[in-house]
Amino acid sequence: MENLDYARLQMAFTLGFHIIFACIGMVMPFFMVVSHRKWLNTRNPVYLKLTKAWLSGVAIFFVTGAVSGTALSFELGMLWPEFMKHAGPVIGMPFSLEGAAFFVEAIALGFYLYGWNKLPETFHWITGIIIGISGVASGILVVSANAWMNAPTGFDVVNGEFVNIDPVAAFLNDAWFTQALHMTLAAFAATGFAVAGIHAFQILKNNRPELHKKAFRIAIVFGAVAALLQPLSGDLSAKDIAERQPVKLAAMEAHYETKKGAPLYIGGLVDEENKEVNYKIEIPGALSFLAFGDFNAEVKGLNDFPEDELPPVAIVHYAFQIMVGIGTLLMIAAIIFFISLKKKSWLNNRKYWWLFAILSPLGFIAVEAGWVVTEVGRQPWIVYNIMRTSEAVTPMPGMKYSFFLYLTVYITLAITVTWLMMRQIKVLNRSTD
Amino acid sequence: MIYIVLFFTFFSLFLYVLLGGADFGAGIVELFSSKETRKLNRDTIYKVMGPVWEANHIWLIILIVILWIAFPAYFNIIIIYLHIPLTLVLLGITMRGVAFIFRHYDAIEGESQVWYNRMFRASSLITPIFLGMSFGTLLNGEIIITDDYTQLGFADIFLHPWLNIFTFLTGLFYASLCAFLASTLLIGETTGEVRKLYSRKSAIYTVVVVIMGALLLIYGFFNNMVFIQDFLSNGYSLSAVSLSALLLIPLWKAIKEQHSVLTRFYAGLQILLVLFAALNSHFPNLIITSTTEINMMDETAPESVIRVLGISLIIGGAIILPGLFHLMKSFNMIKITRSDREDDRR
Repeated sequence: MENLDYARLQMAFTLGFHIIFACIGMVMPFFMVVSHRKWLNTRNPVYLKLTKAWLSGVAIFFVTGAVSGTALSFELGMLWPEFMKHAGPVIGMPFSLEGAAFFVEAIALGFYLYGWNKLPETFHWITGIIIGISGVASGILVVSANAWMNAPTGFDVVNGEFVNIDPVAAFLNDAWFTQALHMTLAAFAATGFAVAGIHAFQILKNNRPELHKKAFRIAIVFGAVAALLQPLSGDLSAKDIAERQPVKLAAMEAHYETKKGAPLYIGGLVDEENKEVNYKIEIPGALSFLAFGDFNAEVKGLNDFPEDELPPVAIVHYAFQIMVGIGTLLMIAAIIFFISLKKKSWLNNRKYWWLFAILSPLGFIAVEAGWVVTEVGRQPWIVYNIMRTSEAVTPMPGMKYSFFLYLTVYITLAITVTWLMMRQIKVLNRSTD
Repeated sequence: MIYIVLFFTFFSLFLYVLLGGADFGAGIVELFSSKETRKLNRDTIYKVMGPVWEANHIWLIILIVILWIAFPAYFNIIIIYLHIPLTLVLLGITMRGVAFIFRHYDAIEGESQVWYNRMFRASSLITPIFLGMSFGTLLNGEIIITDDYTQLGFADIFLHPWLNIFTFLTGLFYASLCAFLASTLLIGETTGEVRKLYSRKSAIYTVVVVIMGALLLIYGFFNNMVFIQDFLSNGYSLSAVSLSALLLIPLWKAIKEQHSVLTRFYAGLQILLVLFAALNSHFPNLIITSTTEINMMDETAPESVIRVLGISLIIGGAIILPGLFHLMKSFNMIKITRSDREDDRR
């Protein structure tokens, strides 16, 4: 493997970690303030205990998210100096706003963490809401910068230099809305199901079920609503990509031959050498319909694009299948949850809790798979149709060592954070209040 | 508009050096404390720094973002040639952040605390040293800018410029400055016995800072370094450093009179003066390579970008600064007294 490959792996790896920390840090504050509100309204100490336990989670994930985010703000430049030199000024606006939103979040978190019994109750509660809102705002702004890489606008290229820069147009690029919507819903669905699943597992183990049922209920509502809305947002994204990045769409679907009434493949093994997909289930005309809303529309195949502009097809196709598959599962689980609101008897069935316990990690797997689709699907470009990833990479040799260093650090980090969370739950289950 | 952006660049640099520095320093002070007072240090630091801890470090991100948006050509050189020391800074920041949160948020206080504490203290010392080394690299005239990787080896381009005696001295100077800041600021937060402890520490670190600063200048002078030569012949820089040294007198008076706002003001002013002295003698040529000097004001981003950035910074500043001020005011004035600690023990 070359320097470029290691640089890409390092970026993928650190981003992959950061996304998990960032999603949880973005969404958990909302669970926390709901529980906090219930405590203020009912004065049931269980809610206070839950709020504080979730707050510890938020604090831990906020800091790990913040340090991994700091690392990323450097890594963008360290790994892709030529990209940042040219694109930095163009996408500066969402990043500078994100810095501000992140700052507001840190200030609000300071108030919230240390404000117990010191600040007026309502003001204290509101600082909790501000944590959540500014967190979501940061997420949307960063995704907007990524969207620009898929839909670069707001500048002209003259002799390799980016001129006539319009930062606002770059910020409000064609992809920002669909991507930001999709990612925000994904964060809520993934975190909602992950947290609900952890509490479902505790209910199964009969550890303080009265507390964990309350916790489950708060988390799953967020997750379930997001999971029901996500397919609609996914449809918007697919139509958008069909329009703007036809090669990415073709890779997602492993669609080689340009065809009218193109079929949709479910599953299947991609044979990149012979340019075909084996063992797939075919739904005739479905791809044309999903991409353009017309069963007979023509969908351009991979064979019609220059060889050196193709992304790795198999990875993108599999990642896409995983994302859509999990999305469908979570949507069904969301429907089951909403039915269980009427059919209370389901709540006594252990299978109900097992279902949610098993689904717990899946949302995040879908988030990661989704990012693989976006990022690998854009290759070989770092800025779509403008700058190649190979042109952006650092001239410093030896990225291999850098990659393994980061790998070690982040894996250690992941293990310790998981271990810390397990200890939080252990303490939560002690019945002495 | 570029001057507004420039103002925010140095403003964030200043706040990071000051607030982030005090924060690193707290860990250094803890590291060099006797076993008996370590626990006390840890609790004091947590109470004083805890609420603003995260905010202190965001100034670094703001600084980096401004640099890459407004000064892309300048940033490009920093980020390519300082790849390794900056990676080490990042590792330090990661270790430190994680250790801080773990030692205060681990639900079970057990043996693992020993490891969190060790990690926190060690990274508190190492991170500012690498930060100082990175800064020293920009100005020591050793960076070699080249596209030709056949003539020179990896070590010539990516190791030697930042790994030498001068940068190491810069790193030690910044670390001791951090320790000085932390111990001085902590005096104002404490009373009684604890207060005496920090007063003594502050005195020691003042001496260390002065010695390190002198060593840095002497070394640079005898090695004919461009930056130090210019520094020593620049009237403004010399006056700023002298003034900063003279400020020690009112600073100690303020500490004696237990005037914590004045104490902070003087300490902040000293850092501002030192930073001004260092930057002023060479601004805007804030990179000195082996053959040339690089002007950060050359090849700045186009006016349209600078305008939007300037407006964002003004609006962001208008929201953030009052909030931050209020946060510091609400919590930072908590005095740590003996009775407080007894409360904790119960």
